[in-house]
Amino acid sequence: MKMSKLSLFVLLTIGAYLVLKIVVPIIGRFLHPGTWPLIPTSLLKMYMLFIIVTILLYLTSKEEDAKALIAPIKATLTDPSKRMLRNIIFAVIPLLAAYITYSNVAPSYDAPVELRSIHPAPPSSVNAYNKSYNLLTLKNPLRDDAANYAKYVKEGGEVYFKNCFYCHGDKLDGKGHFYQGFNPQPLPFMGTDTIAQLSESFVFWRVATGGPGLPKEGAPWLSAMPIWEHFISEEEIWKVSMFIYDYSGNKPRTF
Amino acid sequence: MNIKKLFKMHYLLAVILLIATVSISEAAKGDKEAGKKVYEKKCAWCHGWAGAGDGAAADFLNPRPRDFTSGIYKYKTSNIDNPFPYEEDIYKMIANGMTGTSMPFWKDVLSDKDIWNLVAYVKSLAGLEGEPAAKVNYGKQVSSSAESIKKGKELFIDRCSECHGDEGKGDAMKKLKDDWVGNRIWPRNLTKPWLFRAGSDPKDIYTRISTGISGTPMPSFDDPASKKKLTEEEKWHVVNYVTSIKNEARRLKDGDTVVKAKRLTGELPKDVNDEKWKDVESTAYPLVGQIIAKERFFTPSVEDITVKAVYNDKDIAFLLEWDDRTNSIPGDAKAQELADGEFYEDAVSIQLPVTIPEEMEKPYFGMGDGSHPVNVWHWKSGTAKDPQSVNVMDATGFKNIKKRDKVNITAKGSYNKGTWKVMMTRPLKTDNKDDMQFEEGRFTPIAFATWDGTNGEKGSKHTITTWYWILLKPPTGSKVVFIPLLVAGIVLGAELLIARSVKKK
Ligand code: HEC
Ligand code: HEC
Ligand code: HEC
Repeated sequence: MKMSKLSLFVLLTIGAYLVLKIVVPIIGRFLHPGTWPLIPTSLLKMYMLFIIVTILLYLTSKEEDAKALIAPIKATLTDPSKRMLRNIIFAVIPLLAAYITYSNVAPSYDAPVELRSIHPAPPSSVNAYNKSYNLLTLKNPLRDDAANYAKYVKEGGEVYFKNCFYCHGDKLDGKGHFYQGFNPQPLPFMGTDTIAQLSESFVFWRVATGGPGLPKEGAPWLSAMPIWEHFISEEEIWKVSMFIYDYSGNKPRTF
Repeated sequence: MNIKKLFKMHYLLAVILLIATVSISEAAKGDKEAGKKVYEKKCAWCHGWAGAGDGAAADFLNPRPRDFTSGIYKYKTSNIDNPFPYEEDIYKMIANGMTGTSMPFWKDVLSDKDIWNLVAYVKSLAGLEGEPAAKVNYGKQVSSSAESIKKGKELFIDRCSECHGDEGKGDAMKKLKDDWVGNRIWPRNLTKPWLFRAGSDPKDIYTRISTGISGTPMPSFDDPASKKKLTEEEKWHVVNYVTSIKNEARRLKDGDTVVKAKRLTGELPKDVNDEKWKDVESTAYPLVGQIIAKERFFTPSVEDITVKAVYNDKDIAFLLEWDDRTNSIPGDAKAQELADGEFYEDAVSIQLPVTIPEEMEKPYFGMGDGSHPVNVWHWKSGTAKDPQSVNVMDATGFKNIKKRDKVNITAKGSYNKGTWKVMMTRPLKTDNKDDMQFEEGRFTPIAFATWDGTNGEKGSKHTITTWYWILLKPPTGSKVVFIPLLVAGIVLGAELLIARSVKKK
């Protein structure tokens, strides 16, 4: 039996809703064990709107398709044998509308959603240590000294375990013993989502200038990432960068 | 010697041999050389390259990482005659970590085998070999009942309160140090079992009471030579009491980011103990060390703060509650006994933006920034000479903090058995342009900080929170009923119109 266009529409919409509501958190849980990352309600509404519009466009792309979609609705409205159904639908839709409006105007304690870009585009140059660095050409000078690689990594580890692990974690998983106190939470270095995507000059910029060094789309007023030029030397930043790449088995992006 | 006797001797020898091989094969669960490799990658940073508890991180931590060369382990299930833990005990501490400390759980990144290898390696650092001979005796578990809890409470007051406080919040009457480097150590707050380091099941607590916590002043209550010894049954009563004093209100709830200020029609509460606070919802927030700006502070003793707020048409009042093990009164002889040298007043503060943000952009969460000033209400607990005080500060960053001459808030705190309660009140609206003006129905950023003076907290050394929200929830007016009805009417009208037009065709 061929499915009616209308049922297809309803099914697709419900399917999309379930994906956003359940499948996405499951994937999130898989990526970040121990969490159940929900899509905030306001975002969910926006996504659903786009999805419904897309499905409608898809289903009505041909004239006869559009007619087929509307046909059952038309039938319900006119066919005398469907009177009962018609009355029920006529009663349910306004009630539904009233309910949706109510849940929108009723005061709620849902905190506003704060969207921020995790990896905003870096500036082309940054000022730190009373110098200006061109981020396009900046390289980690210690990497040229391959003979001392192991030594630098170890020294970087010492820097890390004096300064960074409270937040970024003993396991570099973003879960140090203070991580709960911050929002956004400290980023992990393990896995391939963070420093694996970044060039080392980006890491230098982020470490030297910290949260307040972010552009507006990164919400600098929220980030607890300290301004490290106040605490550690330029060389120590390069060493700790080598440590976090080495420990996590990641490589800085070079292109 | 007759044959029979000889046979018996052989028999004995065989048994001994058997026991020996079993225990050797048991002790050989892990390979210490393989363990060393993992140790040097993951553990040495804290526990030190030679295992002496002196890694790079050690000086920034309280408790300090374990010194494995001492062979002393805090958590074990072997009985009082056996000072060292089972390998299984060490395994569990590595796999599960120690909540509330920097010691993480490793079972997510290390395999079973790696962990057994680590056990073998850390044991070898103190030359420990073999397994203990006997476990703690659990007797017959007494299930919890009002009667058992009552008995447990009496025993608790007698045996435990000198360290853990009358209500179990760890508000000690003694200064306690550990056995390794004489680090200051605080008795556990037993009303927050989710922060216990080695588990909070009744059986875990029973084990702690039985073994004590080696290397710390927490004694074993199985010592036959001690007048304080508890029988198996008594220990279960104490366990039942301890599990009954859990304070859920202090527990952090994921996603609970909004202080829900409740509107009252009459007067606001008079003080921290006013009945009116009883049915106001509270929210708990984690406090962490201020490790962002100079001078940083790494070893806080206060873990969290709970907040309530109420308002009427004139004023808003906050009730801030946090567990602090010491009432720090500089100049007071008793408070001095609990302190290490110089100490300071306890304190708490609330931070608010001067302008409620229209968009996402807020002041920097650490005392604001140049273009976004914040208000800080700062209450201090007073000294033997000076009474409690409250100040308002205008800040545009860590380094730009100005104390006002005139204060338009009132604050009063009271300390009782390990808990501070402080109430702060201010008019909703003021005529000072540097003040934030509260508005009903607007999500407004808010942040908190505390100082435990006996723990050396003063100035920039204190705990902080990130930005949370406060919402003065307006009473639900007629709008909430009227608008949905209107919408329902319009939709019904539209339906009828459509139906008619379709029929006509
Ligand atoms: C007080 C907590 C805190 C400390 C201490 C801290 N960080 Fe961060 N860090 C954060 C937070 C929160 C973020 C995420 C927000 C952001 O990007 O600013 C972050 C982000 C970063 C990033 C950006 C990663 C990415 O994928 O964009 C790097 C790199 C970084 N931190 C390195 C370090 C290093 C190196 C240290 C020690 C020298 C350190 N952090 C110490 C809190 C901290
Ligand atoms: C960030 C620092 C840090 C790292 C990394 C770390 N530990 Fe710990 N560890 C601690 C601290 C702190 C304690 C002490 C907690 C206490 O005294 O309550 C501890 C305690 C222990 C204990 C003692 C438990 C007891 O009963 O006394 C063992 C065993 C242990 N760690 C093993 C390890 C192993 C193995 C690793 C590496 C896989 C490791 N730790 C990595 C900080 C760390
Ligand atoms: C002499 C002081 C002292 C006495 C008496 C004492 N304790 Fe403790 N207790 C401590 C200290 C100190 C700690 C924290 C040890 C640490 O930080 O490692 C502690 C920790 C604990 C813990 C936490 C274990 C964990 O896994 O985190 C429990 C439970 C506990 N005590 C229960 C009791 C009970 C019940 C009694 C009475 C039967 C008692 N204590 C008597 C000092 C004491």
